[in-house]
Amino acid sequence: MPEAEAIRLAQAGNAAAFERLYRLHNRRVYSLCLRMVGNTAEAEDLTQEAFLQLFRKIATFRGESAFSTWLHRLAVNVVLMRLRKKSATETSLDEMTEPDEESGGPRRDFGTPDLRLSGSIDRVNLQRAVEQLPPGYKAVFVLHDVQGYEHNEIAEIMECSIGNSKSQLHKARMRLRELLHESMRDKAREDRKAAGNAGGED
Amino acid sequence: MSTTQFVSLGFNWKTGLLAPGLLLVTSSPVFAHNIEKHFKVEPRSVVTIHNPNGKVVVKAWTKSEVMVIATHTSDKVEVDAEQAGNRVDVTTHQLSETISPEDLRADYQINVPEDAELQIHDDSGEVTVANVMGDMNVETVGAGVDLEDAAGYLTVKTVGGSFQCVRCAGRLEVSSISGSFRLLSLRSYHVHAQTSKGNILFDGEFLPNGIYRLKNYSGVIEVHFSPGDSFDLSATSLKGKVNNQASLTPPAHPDRISKFGNAILGTFNAGHAKVELSSFDGTIKILKRD
Amino acid sequence: MATTTCRSFQEQFEPGSNSPRDVSVQAHLRDCPACRSFVEDLGSIRAAAIELAGSDPEPSAQIWISLRAQLEQEGIIHGAAGKGWFADLFRGHLGALPRPVLAGAYLSVLLAVAFGLSGPINSRINRQRWLDGTQSSTTPLSAQLRSFENDSLTSRPDTDSPVTASLHSNLEIVDNYISLCQDSVREEPDNEIARDYLYEAYQQKADLVAQLNER
Repeated sequence: MPEAEAIRLAQAGNAAAFERLYRLHNRRVYSLCLRMVGNTAEAEDLTQEAFLQLFRKIATFRGESAFSTWLHRLAVNVVLMRLRKKSATETSLDEMTEPDEESGGPRRDFGTPDLRLSGSIDRVNLQRAVEQLPPGYKAVFVLHDVQGYEHNEIAEIMECSIGNSKSQLHKARMRLRELLHESMRDKAREDRKAAGNAGGED
Repeated sequence: MSTTQFVSLGFNWKTGLLAPGLLLVTSSPVFAHNIEKHFKVEPRSVVTIHNPNGKVVVKAWTKSEVMVIATHTSDKVEVDAEQAGNRVDVTTHQLSETISPEDLRADYQINVPEDAELQIHDDSGEVTVANVMGDMNVETVGAGVDLEDAAGYLTVKTVGGSFQCVRCAGRLEVSSISGSFRLLSLRSYHVHAQTSKGNILFDGEFLPNGIYRLKNYSGVIEVHFSPGDSFDLSATSLKGKVNNQASLTPPAHPDRISKFGNAILGTFNAGHAKVELSSFDGTIKILKRD
Repeated sequence: MATTTCRSFQEQFEPGSNSPRDVSVQAHLRDCPACRSFVEDLGSIRAAAIELAGSDPEPSAQIWISLRAQLEQEGIIHGAAGKGWFADLFRGHLGALPRPVLAGAYLSVLLAVAFGLSGPINSRINRQRWLDGTQSSTTPLSAQLRSFENDSLTSRPDTDSPVTASLHSNLEIVDNYISLCQDSVREEPDNEIARDYLYEAYQQKADLVAQLNER
């Protein structure tokens, strides 16, 4: 069943059409939620919530944007709202995307040579680092670098300008780089400590 | 002398939760019929209210319970509240073919958990919602709608009813034909407000990456800003005036400026939010807060 | 790409889009170990991100099962067992669906087709053609809306109710705006703002007529 037909039938309450739409999009939505929250149970809960909201509102879909864009916009909102509710203090979306300078980690000197990440990061490290990003950065990074959306698509999903999307992505990558470097240094410190202990005091 | 009956009901639903409800019925031999019902619910419950005429007041509380108190004076209507799974449906039924608007009136006081999703349909009367954070869809004809401290995805549609939203967050979409809107102390990241004949007053925050679209055919669109705000502004009135107090940096691309009507385009400070104001023949005012 | 500082270089650098063959990029990288490191790190992050994308587990089958059950409970999926008259009433009247009447749906389709036929908004065609296009699509539409409106007047029992009176008075408001917008489009046929307003006024009218038909 093509998507357009499934949407039309779903708007009339057809069960098979709902299932078709779910099957077409559930992996991407789940992947987005998983990358944003970092655990499968919560990602499943958010996936269900996103589709539930979508299907409740499906009759209002008029085709002004692509269906998948509409769905992903809903999913991003669901996740961001959940993350907002989880944060210790009331966090507005501007705080989610413009972290306090102090809490954003030490400022890097752009001209300073640094340790290389190449060969040291894998998806596990990266996922851990992504989980530490502020929600707005996380959303743009996951949509662009993990899921492969272009900036014009992200602008539509996140309802921001293309310029903002690019700026947020750059900040997300810079922050990830800092986090991964810190993680590398911590690991190196632990390895040295372990090696020292293993050597013993002869 | 009123009588009070406590009746315990096991609500029957074929799927979902079993939740015993407590029914409190008082009836006065004089005029008023009062009903009170309680429903235990899980997180993210849905509460739907269909009331052709009367007041609907919904407030959040900390209990995992929906409480419905309904009052009506006429025997020609019946108020009903039922639970199906995690959804509570509240309806005013018309029992007679011919019924006057006064007889059709029923007033509701409903308490819900903070995360409840609301769907309210009230043709005439008033709708007030306070402190509810779930998504909301409100439709009225002539009833005014008043939201306070609400969040989530808020959609409001009236024909002639006015709309006021105070200290709301999340996403707001409101439309009307002749209702006026007052959007005060908002912290919403997406506001889309459209009325044909009504006025629109926006006095809230412009969040970075926020989008604020206010549109009417005639009347006044008035927006207040502070020196620290940051937005990209596009204000166009086809046949009316645009009065602007914000010092704007003009756009880099002049072809963005429409040749039709009176338009003001530019960036205030860093242009983090997007503000689009549009009127057919009304007046648009962008005013600095004192 | 002309860059003079590391900050500027790093802010503008986009993995994959800045070709290493670009002379200024090469020159800067040759001279700047910090930016070389930056470029390599971004490449590593990008590669790990792609790996992440490919590693996602399949979502649990339970999600659809729970979702479907909830949709059935809420009456969003039709044909669910035994919801009875109350669920039908909910579906028919409450805001989960827009005006679920054939009139409303039909009118929306009419509007979409009518304005699709009147030409692409940004096309540079002469004013007369804009005017002809708009008129040829709105004239039959206007007639259809009038017909639906008349049907609702004859079939409705509660002509005196304040709600119906309010719908009618608002219909007059919208009719007035349609008239103003039509005048505006006649004066300036290539004015896309006026055409947008005209289109929206027709949509509002369709919605009001559909509401009247429901009562």
